[in-house]
Amino acid sequence: MEVPHVGLLLTIISLGFNGIGSADEPSPTADRQQELAAWLDARFESRWKANQLTPPAIVDDATFLRRVYLDLNGTIPSVSQTFDFLSGNQTDKREKMVDQLLSDPRTPKNLGRVWRRMMVPGNGPEAAAATQLLEPWLVEQFTANTRYNDLARKVLVIAPDAAPMQPIGLNAPAAPTPSASAYINAVGRTPDAVSGASTRFFLGVSLNCAKCHDHPFAKWKQQDFWGMAAFFSNQGTAGRINSEKGESYPAVFLGGEPATIPEGKLATEVLVDWMTSPKNTNFGATAVNRVWQHLYGRGAVSEIDDLDRVPPEERLFFLDELGQRFAAADYDMRWLIASLCKSRTYQRETPGKSNPTQSDQLTQRPLKTLQPEQVFDSLEQALNLPIGKSDDSPRTNGTRTQMVAKLSEAATNHPDQFRSGIPQALMLMHGSMISNATDIETSRTLRAVIEAPFLEPKQKIETLYMAALTRKPREQELNTMLSFIGEQREPLQRKQAYSEIFWALLNSPEFVLSP
Amino acid sequence: MFNHSFYDEFQRRDFLRMSLAGAFGASFSGWFGQLAKAAQAEQAQKACILLWMPGGPSQTDTFDLKPGHKNGGPFKEIDTAAAGVRISEHLPGLAMQMKDMAIIRSLTSTEGDHGRAANIMLTGYKEQEAVKYPVLGSLVAKELGRADNELPNYVSISSSQLGFGSTAGEGFLGPQYAPLSVSGNSNNPQARANLAIEFLAPPRKVDKTQIDNRFKVLGLVQQDFAERFDGDSVAAHRANYEKAERLVKSQAKHAFRLDEEDTAVRDAYGRNRFGQGCLLARRLVERGVPFVEVALSGTQANAAASWDTHADNFNQVKLLSQVLDPAWSTLMRDLRERGLLEHTLVVWMGEFGRTPNINTMGGRDHFPIAWSTVLGGAGIQGGQAYGSSGPDGMKVIDKPVKGPELIATICGALGIDPKKENFTDEGRPIPIVERGTEPVKELLKG
Repeated sequence: MEVPHVGLLLTIISLGFNGIGSADEPSPTADRQQELAAWLDARFESRWKANQLTPPAIVDDATFLRRVYLDLNGTIPSVSQTFDFLSGNQTDKREKMVDQLLSDPRTPKNLGRVWRRMMVPGNGPEAAAATQLLEPWLVEQFTANTRYNDLARKVLVIAPDAAPMQPIGLNAPAAPTPSASAYINAVGRTPDAVSGASTRFFLGVSLNCAKCHDHPFAKWKQQDFWGMAAFFSNQGTAGRINSEKGESYPAVFLGGEPATIPEGKLATEVLVDWMTSPKNTNFGATAVNRVWQHLYGRGAVSEIDDLDRVPPEERLFFLDELGQRFAAADYDMRWLIASLCKSRTYQRETPGKSNPTQSDQLTQRPLKTLQPEQVFDSLEQALNLPIGKSDDSPRTNGTRTQMVAKLSEAATNHPDQFRSGIPQALMLMHGSMISNATDIETSRTLRAVIEAPFLEPKQKIETLYMAALTRKPREQELNTMLSFIGEQREPLQRKQAYSEIFWALLNSPEFVLSP
Repeated sequence: MFNHSFYDEFQRRDFLRMSLAGAFGASFSGWFGQLAKAAQAEQAQKACILLWMPGGPSQTDTFDLKPGHKNGGPFKEIDTAAAGVRISEHLPGLAMQMKDMAIIRSLTSTEGDHGRAANIMLTGYKEQEAVKYPVLGSLVAKELGRADNELPNYVSISSSQLGFGSTAGEGFLGPQYAPLSVSGNSNNPQARANLAIEFLAPPRKVDKTQIDNRFKVLGLVQQDFAERFDGDSVAAHRANYEKAERLVKSQAKHAFRLDEEDTAVRDAYGRNRFGQGCLLARRLVERGVPFVEVALSGTQANAAASWDTHADNFNQVKLLSQVLDPAWSTLMRDLRERGLLEHTLVVWMGEFGRTPNINTMGGRDHFPIAWSTVLGGAGIQGGQAYGSSGPDGMKVIDKPVKGPELIATICGALGIDPKKENFTDEGRPIPIVERGTEPVKELLKG
């Protein structure tokens, strides 16, 4: 049978990284993950109980698999990976799958991409520079599981002579190497730009409004903005800066405590010491908030970049304590992600229409919009496309770059929003990738399905659903599709009908909005 | 492919008009007389065509000449159809259209950087980090666009040239108000493929039955998903695909089929990217698109030529004028003959003007202090030159107009309230034009 071979190559790849160190002894790591997951589940369940809401059900294996593949690996699973997972009967197969994906090299690649999009949002030349120079560095950090406080230190502590700021864009020197300093280059290179961007990213506070005037909604004054910018000052005097209006400001930690810069220490080191101290709850809270948004589709509180505007009771639900636990665990990112993915909370259903948990925003999991790279990688998987250079594969021949660029024009960093436009829809309808994939003469997946003599129409439709949506059609869907096939009179039209179904599934909301 | 929906649409409208006409006792002959025009002007919807001149055109060599002054340069001034209004000798076609056009000779700003200046002129606001202001096209698309339009509400032609460093786009209004861009990278006069929507056409092998089947199955799948899940993203996905589907099925109402036009018409617009872009703009407006922008850069001799004429200004401006004049004047005439001009505003502007004094390279440099833009058509009191830059062109001596006031005036001509507020993601209200800015009344029809 053709179908189980669909993902053979990828299975071999992932097996290669699987054999090492995944012995079955109960490890202290697993216990620590278990503990955090249980704590989180208790938080959610008691809140639902207090609000007299029934928690959403735990998802079935297929939904779990697609969800965790997209979140960690950045792509949907292949048909054969799905079959293997569904047929496994170990009670801990979900936990094992989380571990397996976390040791797959595609996971740090995906997380590096996700973090790059969070750190340097938007679609301009800054984002392009970050893709080239920051993202590979982030992938290395996720591969090595760099502690998150160390990551912040590497990104923000700049010895001015050791790492001169690199210009971006047209004047960039030939092939600069990926490095932590790509961050400050991408966000603007001036002390005020770096300060504004990093305060938002690492502390969840948007100060930029206070650059020119006291903040209209929040408590921030110009002193707060320039006090933080002073840490990044390269105007000669460490820890002092002149604002655009020419006023001089000393370095002051956000919140008002003046900083002392000891002899021989960089101002940015002093800032990072303060920032990553467990006493600074915003650092841990913002980190876990971003992880939670990535996994759950929305932040742990209503605002991610404006924690100062969040009502304290929202933070008390679970954000602050999760942040503190993260700090106490030495900012171990892999532990955090593994624990959250293994929790019941992560594995609950996206509430459907009229589910009462929809009334409680903080506990509700929204549909999650796939990011541009996830769309390409998932299409590649669903279509079973070659991935090698010698095959002139879409991954290597420029198709991926083009598709990601076009999708990025309308992408958002809010997974619960869908902002795509007409050009993006037209590309997914008529672009070369989908066109080839739905051409019954050239498409690997389609041909395998349509031409298989031993598959009944029902099984053919099921296989297309498995390839595109990682699930079998429900009975009602199956009947609709069967009657559509039945309407076609000629054998060629009947074959063609499978192609139209496949096209529709790849263009369906379910393909890009992950439940 | 014959376009049914377009004709269905009109039959319905015309039937409605006929019934109304009957009810009010109007004569049928009168109504039939209207038919030809109605067939072309699908509706009396207001529309705006922005002719965007990236780089900043020289006012002194186009619409505000200084004959006899040393700043004037070699170009002569000619009379126009509007008494007392005189323009460059290289714009003879436009001179004949001047009764429907108003020149503003007193634009003034302080921004001499291409990108930042373009942002001010296109958004009406000085750019800042905290708020991404939307451009004029997005604002107009939101106010005048219809959700059920088969075509997008904002089309940008040759938009890769539009920016000149500008970072402005749909801003906080979001991608639903982003332009549909038509690349037009080639200046090949015969080609129409280069003024086309990417991926609009299905693959060659896919026939009409298949397309209908695809959308039928997609509709079933969408319906099923919407029954299981709701939320903004589900609705946004569906709305977007419906728009794309309408565009595919109507093939954009043939708007892009410029070869449907008479050869003489295509020739009159000019067989170049800008000329054909103006013709496309007319076809889009005719089909209900409320905002179209066409950027002009490139001449027959030099595809990279722009209005940023720091050197060799006079040769460059002459060549650019030879592209501009036939295209724009034909557009005005064509719109009028089709009964569209009274509903369609044509705006000509760049991000700033150029220095009246001539530099050592025979060029003119960036000059935001006193420069010109032109408005024509819908709602505009034509036949006038408004404001003055004095005898040497060095500063505004009468009736200064700032970028935001120009946007407010454009709104006024289009029947849009410039005080209307849009909301950012954070819920901050932002009026279309900053508070305290009024349209220039003298430029608007009473």
